[in-house]
Amino acid sequence: MIPKSGNRFSDKIMRKENSDEAPPRGALAARYVDFRDSIKRDHLLWVVLALGPIFALFCIIRVYPILETIRLSFYRYHPTQRNRPFVGLDNYWRLLEDDSFRTALTNTLQFCVMAVIITLTLAFLVAVLLRSIEKAAPVYELLLYIPVVTPWVPASVIWKWIFDPIHGILNYGLSFLGIPKLAWLQDEHVIIYAIVLVSVWKMLGYFVVVYGVGLRNIPDELLEAAELDGATAWQRLIYIVIPMMKPIILFTVIIATIIFFNVFAPVYVLTASAQGAPAYDFKVVIGEIYQNAFVFYRMGYAGAQSVALLIFVLMLVMIQFALFRDRRGRADV
Amino acid sequence: MFKERPIVIIAYVVCTVMAVLAVTPFFWVLMTALKPDPEINAWPPHILPIAPTLEHFHRILGEENFLRYILNSLIIALCSMTAILFSSSLAGFIFAKYKFPGRGVLFAIILATAIIPLEVYIIPLYLMVFGVRMMNSYLALVFPFVIMTFGVFFMRQVIMSIPDELLEAARIDGANEFWIYVRVVLALSKSGLMALGVFAFSEAWANFIWPLVVVTSKDMYTTELGLATYQRQFFIEYGPISAGAVISILPMLIVFALLRRHIMKGIATSGLRG
Repeated sequence: MIPKSGNRFSDKIMRKENSDEAPPRGALAARYVDFRDSIKRDHLLWVVLALGPIFALFCIIRVYPILETIRLSFYRYHPTQRNRPFVGLDNYWRLLEDDSFRTALTNTLQFCVMAVIITLTLAFLVAVLLRSIEKAAPVYELLLYIPVVTPWVPASVIWKWIFDPIHGILNYGLSFLGIPKLAWLQDEHVIIYAIVLVSVWKMLGYFVVVYGVGLRNIPDELLEAAELDGATAWQRLIYIVIPMMKPIILFTVIIATIIFFNVFAPVYVLTASAQGAPAYDFKVVIGEIYQNAFVFYRMGYAGAQSVALLIFVLMLVMIQFALFRDRRGRADV
Repeated sequence: MFKERPIVIIAYVVCTVMAVLAVTPFFWVLMTALKPDPEINAWPPHILPIAPTLEHFHRILGEENFLRYILNSLIIALCSMTAILFSSSLAGFIFAKYKFPGRGVLFAIILATAIIPLEVYIIPLYLMVFGVRMMNSYLALVFPFVIMTFGVFFMRQVIMSIPDELLEAARIDGANEFWIYVRVVLALSKSGLMALGVFAFSEAWANFIWPLVVVTSKDMYTTELGLATYQRQFFIEYGPISAGAVISILPMLIVFALLRRHIMKGIATSGLRG
């Protein structure tokens, strides 16, 4: 991120003007003149006027809330009560003993691992296969992208009816394969697969397109040369394509993990009772934060849960940075 | 990439199956929305409705007030999109084309928060809205979505590709910086603005947890919230619910169909998510 001087023309003009002024005495004065000119040249007033309000807004709705969440986690905080005592690490100790948070964490991690692995494996497979049918690929990518632009709530509503244990078309379809009717949303062991299914269906297209971009950047000559040397398709995939895709695969693993770890809307929709049949109450991390903060108004405690989530996300980002550091030098980011 | 005949055949088969699976739920929800009640619960299910009807659409738009929810969602999404396009392009322009003290630090601060999801800091946002008694208003619904960290980064990338000579030529012609922003920078980054616009619109439209938290009365429901709440009722009817889902997906699909080329390009250049 080296600042790039954008004004070759004005540089020249300014230098000419400078030479008309009295010659600067000493190095300090010269530096002052340079500094003053560089500001004039780069329109400091305009920069402040344009960026100032945006950055202030950014501080109010991003930076401050993030810091305030951390502060809240050390207090017992109810929005309508005056008494908001500082409780130190109590909220965090409570977090460790909270059974429903532990369940939520286990559920979310299980869900996340399954969803990430299935989505990315399928997406990679489809993206590689699409490169063999280059002409038809845009049509397939478009069709696969439709679920991505569908918001989570209607997506989950659609699937809820498909999952219906009595009238659902999924059970109807499975009956042809001889699989007995499953209570997709009512059985505590099955509901996680239902949510994984919806999530994979929703996000697959995005990762197919991302992988597609990476795959198109692999030079054809490389693969053709390997083919001439007698490499099979499998060997080309393992020794050329996958190694070259490694940075993109790492990137998608991080992104997908963050997306799926924040699962909430599909859980909210799918775990609501349907037609009098109560669905299993599948707990997830965001659901716990939501309940504690906005149903029970335990905002300090919910703050501690949010900080746990924040730490998790930051850890992932740091892993990504660590793995990418050698590439960063070349990439323009 | 792999031109061997069996692989090409496998590719067609696998990709077709995936594409069919991707669109089948949409087909099914549309069929359900068009079926009269007795047909919806028929077993075995009919694929196509025997006596298609629009009664569920009437019901959801009229009695259930979905028209109002859609209007709310539209207002919020359009306001958010406009604000994000303006703030991202202006900030992106400044970061891309000007040198000033602290530039690296400011940009790093903005970038650092890009990956942190809204759910992490939703409590203080709520407390701010609560503190100024703004609950249940459009302003409250829009306000977390008036800037997008990723948008600043994205527009900076787009604007960096505009040659400096063009800006300089405008300056020599006597244009001031704001004029350059409007007439040169915005005009030359239309494709990027469209991709970001679609993304911003869909983010605001699709968000669920924020309206869930700040909306307290039915007349301020967004489409997402209306749909999620409606299907939570003890006894739900899938006809109207499916009609509601169709209605709430439709705007996104139309926008996507119209601007798909820009969106795909946006993903290609920067991993923009839609």
